[in-house]
Amino acid sequence: MSVAPEEPEVLDRRLDAAALDRRLDAVWQTPRGLWAALATVDHKIIGRRYIATAFVFLALGGLLAVAMRLQLARPEARVMSADRYNQVFTMHGANMMFLFAVPVMEAMAVYLVPLMVGTRNIAFPRLNAFSYWMYVAGGIVLWGAFVFDMGPDIGWFAYVPLSGPQYAPGKRADIWAQMITFTEVSALAVAVELVVTIFKQRAPGMSLDRIPLFVWSMLVTSFLIIIAMPAIMVASTSLILDRLIGTHFFNPAEGGDVLLWQHLFWFFGHPEVYIIFLPAVGMVSTLVVTFSRRPVFGYLGLVLAVISTGILAFGLWVHHMFVTGLPRLGESFFTGSSMAIAIPSGVQIFCWLATLWSGRPVLKVPLLFVYAFLFTFVMGGMTGVMVASVPFDTQVHDTYFVVAHFHYVLVGGAVFPLMGAVYYWFPKITGRLMSERVGRWVAGLVFVGFNLTFFPMHLLGLAGMPRRVYTYPAEMQWGSVNLFISLSALVLASGFLLFFWDAFRSLRHGIPAGDNPWDAPTLEWATSSPPPSYNFARLPVVSSAYPLWDERDALSVATGLRPDRREVLVSSVADARPEARESSPRNSIWPLWTAIATSIMLVWSIFTPWAVVWGSIPIATALIGWFWPKGVPEDDA
Amino acid sequence: MTRRLLILAGLLALAACKREQREVRLDPPALDALDQVALMPNGIGGAPPDVLPALGRPYETNAYQLSQGKRLYGWFNCTGCHANGGGNVGPALMEGWWRYGPDVQSIFASIRDGRPHGMPAFKDKLTTEQIWQLAGYVQTIGTYAAKTAAPTRNDEMQSRPSESRGPAGADIAPPSR
Ligand code: HEC
Repeated sequence: MSVAPEEPEVLDRRLDAAALDRRLDAVWQTPRGLWAALATVDHKIIGRRYIATAFVFLALGGLLAVAMRLQLARPEARVMSADRYNQVFTMHGANMMFLFAVPVMEAMAVYLVPLMVGTRNIAFPRLNAFSYWMYVAGGIVLWGAFVFDMGPDIGWFAYVPLSGPQYAPGKRADIWAQMITFTEVSALAVAVELVVTIFKQRAPGMSLDRIPLFVWSMLVTSFLIIIAMPAIMVASTSLILDRLIGTHFFNPAEGGDVLLWQHLFWFFGHPEVYIIFLPAVGMVSTLVVTFSRRPVFGYLGLVLAVISTGILAFGLWVHHMFVTGLPRLGESFFTGSSMAIAIPSGVQIFCWLATLWSGRPVLKVPLLFVYAFLFTFVMGGMTGVMVASVPFDTQVHDTYFVVAHFHYVLVGGAVFPLMGAVYYWFPKITGRLMSERVGRWVAGLVFVGFNLTFFPMHLLGLAGMPRRVYTYPAEMQWGSVNLFISLSALVLASGFLLFFWDAFRSLRHGIPAGDNPWDAPTLEWATSSPPPSYNFARLPVVSSAYPLWDERDALSVATGLRPDRREVLVSSVADARPEARESSPRNSIWPLWTAIATSIMLVWSIFTPWAVVWGSIPIATALIGWFWPKGVPEDDA
Repeated sequence: MTRRLLILAGLLALAACKREQREVRLDPPALDALDQVALMPNGIGGAPPDVLPALGRPYETNAYQLSQGKRLYGWFNCTGCHANGGGNVGPALMEGWWRYGPDVQSIFASIRDGRPHGMPAFKDKLTTEQIWQLAGYVQTIGTYAAKTAAPTRNDEMQSRPSESRGPAGADIAPPSR
């Protein structure tokens, strides 16, 4: 639709600022009340919920970790039974990977990306609401099952035949498989929204080379999700079919293949690591720029590194399977490609170092976390190169060495940047700063606690302690190191506790932040903190990658949108030239109904295949309600 | 209304608990009591031991116990004489007709003490608990109603529909008693 001046509707350019705010707020706001809260499609409200929920799962997963450390602190300890321990380590892994790490990164993006690209809502906002409800339902299913002694006990990667019908009696493995379905549906939904938001809803002038680096990371991450997640959906669905109706996908006697599971799983599972890591890379780039007070060194290099990491991510999966007896040539190839990932990672590290080196770093808490990240992640990267070599991997496979390695890359590579990001964006979301003093303690405790906890695990692994054992005999002489690890884990846990306490306290008592407390350059800080329901009264127009630094006095803005209905600006993919005004859906309760109907079907289908038939009727009904035109202005395109 | 729902949810929860629990080692007194089957003089029928209902009939309803039974069925070569339930030297166990009674205590007795026409006694080879696991499992081979706690297929060639899908014996004509 063209933006011709003779159009009959009221356009925003005829209104003064106060009147415009009032009208926009009337159209975009989420009213008070439970019903409205359930029906909202505001990306900020959903993003906030998403983040909070993910951190709840982090805390729960952390409690499980503490429980495991209690059990392992002494040889032959009896804190819990072997069966309970199996559930606990499986829950810890599945929870952290599927309910915390991936969702929290997407959650940050759901909140931040629309603000960073200068639009009023995420693309497909109702899908966004649906995705959140599905995510919560998946979490409830998993944790509810655990409470009822029905938690999966097959490891977070659920290898067949252990997870298959013969060796995993009951419904525990099915709970795992269906939890996958829940979280994948929600992750795929968010990925699609992000790709469309980033490609088609950028502020005028935000050409590809002016996109904030966090947004670039999320774009690549979203593509990884779209390409990788179907593999695990296929895998978990085949597993549930094998278990429920006796298909033979993984039964070699009937022509199935056990190894197929590992291929499908790791074709997803390895990119999964980058799905968690790349957003963190984007966060680090953002923090490094803001706190070194200069544009990033090597923008193009960083973007290309992120993209090439994304591509390489799909050529590495077999390095998880080195001990399955694959052909030599294949193993060599995957060793090579695994080591190659060090190149883009190295490029990024050096770009950040160069930025910090040539800037004037301001040592605030977020930057402390970046330093913690740099050290820890490089350590994890080093052991990564070590386990990429087949002989070494054969030696340490399934030992604590691997546990140490992946905690270094996942906690060091993703959780540290995330905590920095929370300190950084907390004022954006709440309008208040978290405490600088407490933050330093948090950073210190977490960094020191982490290294004391996980470094000794390398040694345990080299000494031969296997992972996933619920106890070990005293004669192995692993007791003292394990006790040391368990004590250090308490330091780490206290750091996290302090972090949560600081966040809670700052919600109410933090220092009011103002709009842009860090003097940051990207668009999310161009609006008030917290932002109004419509994000920007007038959409910003961008002429550089650091708009708030380059146009300090006043940002250029675009006009011509209708203030009497929800509207976003659609722009071209490469140059972000305005193309059309597009309506954006209103709040709707139907995504919630659809999510409930879908959840019922998915849980029911653990018990009988007929659930898929009968359960799809309510889903179809809910979807019809969702898409039925309601006669609102947003309906006429 | 809400209270009733809560109670229902609680019961469901308890049921779920029991069904998924993995009791690996029973208390010795409970084990002793499990051996006290009060059979009729002809070695058939009678009453199961009192602890069985007190434990919640785990060998018929608990997923783990049932699958242990299935495993023992293979390990102790029941297949050698009964095949996968279809019968060979020994009678079929899946067609819903039992020479020595369909109740679990009769099946338990058949396995523990053996039967005159060629069924060996297993009391010296298996623990009481294992015999109960077998008895519970054997009952589901020919199950006439699908049982979600029952095990499903093994990683083997498939000879019949899995126990959880039942009724496996449907394609065998039901015998007229
Ligand atoms: C040496 C062959 C053989 C083996 C091994 C064997 N059985 Fe039997 N089984 C028989 C025969 C023969 C009968 C029929 C006995 C009769 O009619 O008196 C029988 C009967 C039974 C019955 C009673 C069936 C009914 O209709 O009441 C059960 C239950 C049973 N077997 C279970 C088992 C189990 C469980 C195992 C494995 C632990 C097993 N059997 C191993 C041969 C065998």
